[in-house]
Amino acid sequence: MADSLSTRQAEDPGAPVGAPAARGTGAPTGGGRPRLSARTRRRALPWTLLAPGLAVIGILLLYPIGRVVWLSVQDYGLDNVVSGRSDFIGLDNYARLLGDRYLWTVALPNTAVFAVVAVAGTVAFGTLVALLLNTLSRFARTAVLSCIMVAWAMPAVSGTYVWVWIFDVDDGLVRRVLQTAGVVGPEGYNWFAERSAFYAIAALNVIHHGFPFVAVTVLAGLMTIPRELHEAALLDGAGAWQRFRNVTVPTIRPVFAVVTILSTIWDFKVFAQVYLMPGGSGGNRDVLNLGVWSYVRSFANQSYGLGSAIAVLLTLMLLSITVVYLRTLFRDEELR
Amino acid sequence: MACTRARRPQAAAAAAALALLATACGGSGGGSGGGETLDVWIMEGTHPDATAYFDRVAADFREQTGARVNVEFVPWADAHDKFTTAIAGNTLPDVAEVGTTWTPEFAGAGALMDVSGRVGSTDAYVPGLAEAGTVDGALYGVPWYAGVRSVIYRTDVFEDLGIEQPTTWKELREAALTVSEERDGMTAFPVPGDAVYQTLPFVWGSGADLATRSDGSWTSGLDSPEARKGISFYTGLATEDGLSSAGAATWMETDLQDNFIAGDVAMMIGGSWTPAAMLEADPSLEGKIGAFPIPGPDGGYSPSFLGGSHLTISNTAEAPDLAWSYIELLTDDENARRWAEATTYFPGKEKQLEPYTSSDDPLVRPFAEQMSEAGRGLPATENFGKVQGDKVLEAMLQDILNDEATVEEATSRAAGEIEQILNKDS
Repeated sequence: MADSLSTRQAEDPGAPVGAPAARGTGAPTGGGRPRLSARTRRRALPWTLLAPGLAVIGILLLYPIGRVVWLSVQDYGLDNVVSGRSDFIGLDNYARLLGDRYLWTVALPNTAVFAVVAVAGTVAFGTLVALLLNTLSRFARTAVLSCIMVAWAMPAVSGTYVWVWIFDVDDGLVRRVLQTAGVVGPEGYNWFAERSAFYAIAALNVIHHGFPFVAVTVLAGLMTIPRELHEAALLDGAGAWQRFRNVTVPTIRPVFAVVTILSTIWDFKVFAQVYLMPGGSGGNRDVLNLGVWSYVRSFANQSYGLGSAIAVLLTLMLLSITVVYLRTLFRDEELR
Repeated sequence: MACTRARRPQAAAAAAALALLATACGGSGGGSGGGETLDVWIMEGTHPDATAYFDRVAADFREQTGARVNVEFVPWADAHDKFTTAIAGNTLPDVAEVGTTWTPEFAGAGALMDVSGRVGSTDAYVPGLAEAGTVDGALYGVPWYAGVRSVIYRTDVFEDLGIEQPTTWKELREAALTVSEERDGMTAFPVPGDAVYQTLPFVWGSGADLATRSDGSWTSGLDSPEARKGISFYTGLATEDGLSSAGAATWMETDLQDNFIAGDVAMMIGGSWTPAAMLEADPSLEGKIGAFPIPGPDGGYSPSFLGGSHLTISNTAEAPDLAWSYIELLTDDENARRWAEATTYFPGKEKQLEPYTSSDDPLVRPFAEQMSEAGRGLPATENFGKVQGDKVLEAMLQDILNDEATVEEATSRAAGEIEQILNKDS
């Protein structure tokens, strides 16, 4: 105790001597030493318990983010990778990127429009399924839940190949149905070659893969709504839609916020579902999104610096979208 | 007392959490006890399954050296990305099969080991392959095997319809038109949009070059009138004559082959190694597959890409001597012969190649002819790998096939991109 006080004063001569001394002398019979160390220990405990988590986050998230940002201000090619030499070029990569028409006419619209459609689709469909599940008996609910879990459990790569197979241009199920119905002629139509059709298929894939999460989460929220609220609304003569709008939505708004934000993040950075579709790996320049573009720039073209700049841009966009979301959804300070 | 009692579990929890973290981090590592392990990457794609072959070589190698071999098969389509990622992450295997067009690129980046000293004279190898593995006078890739593409066709369909093997582009188109008219549900001559090596014969055949260097700068011939004529003819088979299918506009070479195996395709440009793989996939095709060299516009041959593979040692290999023994084993006469038999690739040494050029097997001779008469390499620069990585030619082809650009627009753009990439660092 005496030691700690004197070091403190030595380090910080300007500090008022009275305060710590008073605290020290004011200590009851227990004695300063164990008490202070107990306090230190109490303070240190949360950090000790947090340390593993922080270390994991530091290693898995913060270090890579720092590295990507550092790469994005360099002219970094395959020879740099091997030699370890770095060519710092400041913000040139960003200038090149923001001055590229491709970003504004292809990559960014593809990413953003797709995300909006996919998020809206996932949340809407997932909510509908949750409402359905909420009305089912226990047995039926378990059965339906098991079924939709299959969609969730399927790896994105397998799921994508199944959709590509269903939509196989020459021989797929969809082609046969459309041809039988007379919508597509015998010469066929390559929907993978056209940007909006390509992304419609990708959206179907992503919504199919993402809705179970929304359904399960919203269902959990629905089950917390007190029955009395709905009964009261029913007595007041509210219809199904009004009850959904005025009772369900406000009560579980935080749940919607979470599923929307998470879906937005996932759908913005969608990669495998685009890359693995025919033409999606760079052969068809019209269908790249920011994620695939970053990958192609980095690993196919070996401009790791430029690829990193795209990745940083994508991260910044996601961050700002998330912040705006949180602020509008929780204007009423619900988050606190 | 309460305090101390409470403290114990807390401290224990913290310690346990830290211990968990430590074990989680230390989980990888861990070598195999006893004997070294050599990591090897072998490409896989359109040739027959090679697992049994490598198991046997691994057993021989174990007997010779006591070391294990861990072979990982890497699909060609993803291989370039996988290599560059591995170079970036320092995770290249000790020995890797590298496509001849990529060797200068990886060597230029400093990822491969100079093996000139170990190989000595390269006279024994097929000259084109040895050249492709040489950068600034040093050999980085040991020639392993070569392959070339020609036209593979369904002999039963040709016989039924009385079609002769085409010897000019005009005859090729007419043959395809006949098949298209007579056979519903069969694609006469698919034009795959995500495949380059099927396109090159039509660029080279009309007399154009992909890129040539003069006075230190590269010029692409893709926008020359000759190249445009060839590309117009090739894509016209799809866009004007309807001899391809709607889906083919986004096919890769593997899709082309899958559809041929399924019996939906009458003619395709495919490698000398593919007939064996096709027969393996569907034995009922036995006797129904033939091949002929790709005809020139008015007779003769159109040059086809002379590709192949090198065996390389990574610069980060822990035991280069062991790696070299493995390469020597793979390229010795006995294994080269068995590999060529198993895959119908051509061996990489001149002496090993002889039996094939004089063969009269109808699925070997046309390819051997194509290889000796009209085989051709890609522009010899380490930057051409970036042109391939960027899919410049695929993008050009798909734009034309999908009606997003005319042949003029698409070839101009592709030529511009090629020049920009090749002239960037040289």
